[in-house]
Amino acid sequence: MIINLIILIVGLAVYAGYGISILYLSAVTLFSWLAGRLIPRHRWIMWVSTVLLTLPLLFLRVQHWLPRQSVLAPLGISYFTLQIIAYHADLYRGRYEPEKNLLRFGLFVTYLPHIFIGPIEPYPSMRAALEERHIDGDHFLKGSVRALWGLFKKLVIAARLGVIVSAISAKPEQYNGAYALTAMLLYAVQLYADFSGGIDIVLGVSRMLGLRMSENFDAPYFSQTIQEFWRRWHITLGAWLREYVYIPLGGSRRGKLRKILNTLVTFLISGLWHGGGYLLWGLIHGILVCLGDKCRTKSRTLNRIVTFLLVSLLWSFFIWPDTFTVLRMAGSVFTVFNYNVLLAGIGGMGLAAGDWIVLAGACLLLWLYDWKSRSLRARFCAFSPAAKVSVLCLLALTVLTFGRYGFGFTASEFIYSRF
Amino acid sequence: MKKRAKTIASVGAVLVVFLAAFVLISMLLQPKYMTDLEEGSFIAEYYDEAGGHDVIFLGDCEVYANFSPMELYRNHGITSYIRGTPQQLVWMSYYVAEETFRYETPRALVFNVNAMRYSEPVSEAYNRLTIDRMRWSASKAGIVRASMSEGEQFLSYVFPILRYHSRFDKLTEEDFTWLFQKKDNTFNGHQLHTEVVPEGTFPVRKALPDYQFAEVCYEYLDKLRLLCEENGTELILVKAPSLYPYWYDEYDEQIREYAGKYGLSFYNFVERTGEIGLDFTEDTYDGGYHLNLSGAVKLSRYFGNILAEEHGMADHRQDPEISSVYNSKLQAYDETIEERMRGQDNEKNE
Repeated sequence: MIINLIILIVGLAVYAGYGISILYLSAVTLFSWLAGRLIPRHRWIMWVSTVLLTLPLLFLRVQHWLPRQSVLAPLGISYFTLQIIAYHADLYRGRYEPEKNLLRFGLFVTYLPHIFIGPIEPYPSMRAALEERHIDGDHFLKGSVRALWGLFKKLVIAARLGVIVSAISAKPEQYNGAYALTAMLLYAVQLYADFSGGIDIVLGVSRMLGLRMSENFDAPYFSQTIQEFWRRWHITLGAWLREYVYIPLGGSRRGKLRKILNTLVTFLISGLWHGGGYLLWGLIHGILVCLGDKCRTKSRTLNRIVTFLLVSLLWSFFIWPDTFTVLRMAGSVFTVFNYNVLLAGIGGMGLAAGDWIVLAGACLLLWLYDWKSRSLRARFCAFSPAAKVSVLCLLALTVLTFGRYGFGFTASEFIYSRF
Repeated sequence: MKKRAKTIASVGAVLVVFLAAFVLISMLLQPKYMTDLEEGSFIAEYYDEAGGHDVIFLGDCEVYANFSPMELYRNHGITSYIRGTPQQLVWMSYYVAEETFRYETPRALVFNVNAMRYSEPVSEAYNRLTIDRMRWSASKAGIVRASMSEGEQFLSYVFPILRYHSRFDKLTEEDFTWLFQKKDNTFNGHQLHTEVVPEGTFPVRKALPDYQFAEVCYEYLDKLRLLCEENGTELILVKAPSLYPYWYDEYDEQIREYAGKYGLSFYNFVERTGEIGLDFTEDTYDGGYHLNLSGAVKLSRYFGNILAEEHGMADHRQDPEISSVYNSKLQAYDETIEERMRGQDNEKNE
């Protein structure tokens, strides 16, 4: 109880440091808690609360289409809004009783480690995590290693790749063709290292505090189809969309055509959740998911490569600022053949030879880890405390030495904290 | 119980190895300031020499290039040390003085007022040259807090790896050679320059929009004065001779007013170059910014007279203990000068 209170207060204090968003977060938390208590008796309140909670998010997502864009998004709004909508929908369906304890509900909504980039935790699992909290040396050690692994991904890999991707994306007129393709491929790795690194930090810190939270990634770039990719990438968002959009729309129960329509609507909403400019991105992913296994070959490796290339190509929507530029750059990959100057051009974009060597080694390590993550985790759990501490120390030294941080480096936020 | 003790011991051993590796990597990644940017080593050379100085100099490059403690001793028997560092700002001088008083109480503290013109840290790199090699104390914590520019973090001074980790691919032979050893780059804080680069051309002397020294500079000058008073040390203000950057009359007036108000001595050597006998066609190593050895010899002889006659600094040349130390230093100093002169002659002949 006391630890929960401390986590809540510290979380709110840190959040307050980001400005007046704290007022919105506090108001939403209080409103949602009260609404939640009323929903079992007055079910219509769920619809009202869903509309009220969705409107600000929707406004923020489409505001760049409006003439004036002056409203700043409260930090983490995309994540805590989805969590609350899910909570209210579950109460509407009578899945569980409303939370009476405001402190526990407040922690569910405002739990700091995950408020900025997720995972989007369902209420029952958050409640179970809080109730089953257990702090001990082993949890602390495992959590520390997980958090450091996240820092490794963010500071050693994502920060370096970000230098090249930013340089290329800043000058679309100059850097197209081979450069555009390079940016897409590198961004795929950067985004994964950045986002999954952030999630590793969240899960690691939570583990250190004795909380087990949901996984958000499962080696997504080893997927053989786009469908599989979405089961392994941003898992908690996928689960939320399936549970609260796709299934309520009818899922796959109402015929083939309806299934396709529901899938497309779900992915359009996924795109909209990222922002108004990502609708086409969501739609294309929806179409590729509908195609399902149709493009699958007998070769697993080939399937993985094709899926990775498709996903990378579609990340273009995250690299360049508008759809027109995205389409132009994607087109240039097939029409502009400047591969002969690629190496020299990229060589002058801000990374030294040492950086490239570190990057190559780190990416290899990430790939190996994702490939063997289950067995590696199991093996790590079986390690002696001294061996676990050794891994921790080795990771700490690696991050401290090879991370891009501190004076002279521009601190970059986690990419997914924008959404 | 036995198993638990074994676990604790093995975890402890791993942590010790980690700590050792952490320290070693931090040391390796830090600049050594031995042959490259040697000015960064000046601040730490003092610790081996601390104590027994009648005069301590504080200030920027204008002190460690222009004054020679060896010449002060040779001609007047005055024991002195220069705690000057590149771009040492007023607050830095204050904290360096504070640190100095932990080791010794000199009779006079000579402060070069050139720094009064700067109200903000000039750059992180200059901060590092002064602070990196300082020993940890409240003074170092103070100098870090007072000097940090935008983007700098206190913690990176505590754990230098946080600042220098990006040097992992820039390590040179110097980083390995001087990992566990060091050498002195100065003679009692004086950086020796025997080369001659005659007076150069400088930007046109322009009128400034504002000549008023910043409040923060006065604040630390006051603190420095009070610190000296508390310790019974005389504070002497000087402006070392240089052709550039220009020392404006308006600057001079403010210092004279301050010195007059608190009864301090102030010597502006810029206006005494004739008396000193300085000739900027042969007494500077960089076209007039700083003096070379020949200029430092002249200035030190001149200032030595002032220190002895006007401030009663004692002549220690007859003190056997001091003279044995200083004579061996003088010998090394003279040998170094001879060696450098020979080197320069050889270069000319080639």
